[in-house]
Amino acid sequence: MNTSAPSMTASQDNGGQTRALLFALLPVAAVAILPLLPFVNDYIIAATVRALIFISLGQAWNVVAGIGGLLSLGHGVFLGLGCYTTGILFNHYGIPPWIGVWAGAGMAAIFALVMGSMTLRMRGVFFALATVAMSLAMVQLTRHFVDLTGGSDGLALKFNGNSWWAMQARTPMPFLYGGLVLVIVFYAITRWILGSKLGLEMQAVRDDETAAAAAGVSVFRTKLTGLMLSAVMTAVAGTLYMQFYMAIDPDAAFGLSQAIQLQLPALLGGLGTAWGPIVGGALMIFLSEVTNLGATKLEINGLDILVYGIMLLFVVLRAPKGIVGFFMDRRRGR
Amino acid sequence: MMQAASTMPAQAAAVALDVKNVARHFGGLVALRDVSFTVREGEVMGLIGPNGAGKSTLFEIISGNMPPTKGSVSYFGEDCTNAPAYMRRRSGMCRTFQKVRLFESMTVEQNIRVAASQCLPEGRNAHDEVASILSQFRLEAQAQRRPSELTLADRKRVEIGRAIAGHCRLLMLDESMSGLTHDEANHLITEILALNRTRGITVIVVEHVLSVLAAMVNRLVVLHNATVIADGTPTQVANDPVVIEAYLGTKQKALK
Repeated sequence: MNTSAPSMTASQDNGGQTRALLFALLPVAAVAILPLLPFVNDYIIAATVRALIFISLGQAWNVVAGIGGLLSLGHGVFLGLGCYTTGILFNHYGIPPWIGVWAGAGMAAIFALVMGSMTLRMRGVFFALATVAMSLAMVQLTRHFVDLTGGSDGLALKFNGNSWWAMQARTPMPFLYGGLVLVIVFYAITRWILGSKLGLEMQAVRDDETAAAAAGVSVFRTKLTGLMLSAVMTAVAGTLYMQFYMAIDPDAAFGLSQAIQLQLPALLGGLGTAWGPIVGGALMIFLSEVTNLGATKLEINGLDILVYGIMLLFVVLRAPKGIVGFFMDRRRGR
Repeated sequence: MMQAASTMPAQAAAVALDVKNVARHFGGLVALRDVSFTVREGEVMGLIGPNGAGKSTLFEIISGNMPPTKGSVSYFGEDCTNAPAYMRRRSGMCRTFQKVRLFESMTVEQNIRVAASQCLPEGRNAHDEVASILSQFRLEAQAQRRPSELTLADRKRVEIGRAIAGHCRLLMLDESMSGLTHDEANHLITEILALNRTRGITVIVVEHVLSVLAAMVNRLVVLHNATVIADGTPTQVANDPVVIEAYLGTKQKALK
């Protein structure tokens, strides 16, 4: 049984489910006991947190692009909304990120609603281009409202030391568990979507819009729901991003390289699968750390980008369904 | 308007579809010009015409994928000219596509479930509906397969199953027999006629294989040069000098 396959809920047997659960618990346990291991230092924990953050961002993008088939190239907009909303509320009004996260999510939902209403009736590439235009507009907006956003210099959180209230810490360890919880919750949301009526509608729209309408699916409403859900998830992950990195600037939020980093986990791991962004995100950060190390030693700048590029080429050419999709197909015997 | 209405067997039945003075222009090109006909509930109607006659355009207008330049479409007495395609489907106006369009990443069962869960009236169970469709089209064994693993005949059956799942009063088939062997086509026709008989579904078939159509429909509408040139029983149409002149040419024997 393909228990890790998307939307195979109807055909799961109990043995398969148990195996799948064990398989899923293994990486969770590995991350959870990481700080207890003798050779693990803050550097490794921080790298793992980075991986968890990009996994969760990848999971969010996977909802709209992988399950829904909407190529949103400007998802940094929602990351930025999460980061900036949380940061501005905290720095200027003293509102803790525990509340800021929901404000950011709300902002992202509203923005997705407006942006989606304007662009989702466009087909394919035009929607993708419109999302890029939105990102560029957001860069200008953040630069314009310097007082609030810090302009091009970016926005740095006021540091409170170790503080639950401010969701801040001197060590990366609390973020390890925060990130782990977020990834698990997002994984559960992805599985729920894949098995739900909404998920079926989104996949139908992804496969064939005209046929979906002929099956009674409201294509526009389905796309809008998917985009809003993904936007909210991205903004929530954005808050974790902000609390961990303590700063955001227009490039880090809306820039091209960030947009690519949001897409890589799902693209590498497998679009539209629940495990894809997890496998892809872990691999992406692992490679980035290794190549960073290599780049410093060998003094080659931009080695990580080169490795990303080669990975992406490999996936596009040899495993277009990503790593998870590749193995699923092999298990299906094709 | 309807010269053939008096010859209809289902004369007393309700009007399922009323196409009135529909025209469609693409820039300077006239794809449809003043097309009118009605279909009564329970009828099996064939729509024929040579390539470029406007069949596909008419089909897209009726199913809601393209607005007409002029004219109106009513479905069971209600004007649906401006209703979106998915709303028409939910009210039971169902269609297939000339080239089978299934959700390729989903299983056969999921393909049917999407439609069933959208279009079922309140209080009915989508799971039961999917099971009933699968059994009606003898697709139980293929339920967990992906469309790419099926034969063309099975893909067409899945598409018809998806088209009628949930709620169907009018089924429009776009060249469903093309690409099938003689036996497969006959089989499919039997199944379509069974839907008409047992579920009372009104059927419109667009087809260019005339012998196939003549055997299954009780009425033919002939489209030629963007307009309706004949409307009647297959025999009437076959003997209509205008049709013979314009469309069938010397091949009118194809109908016999």
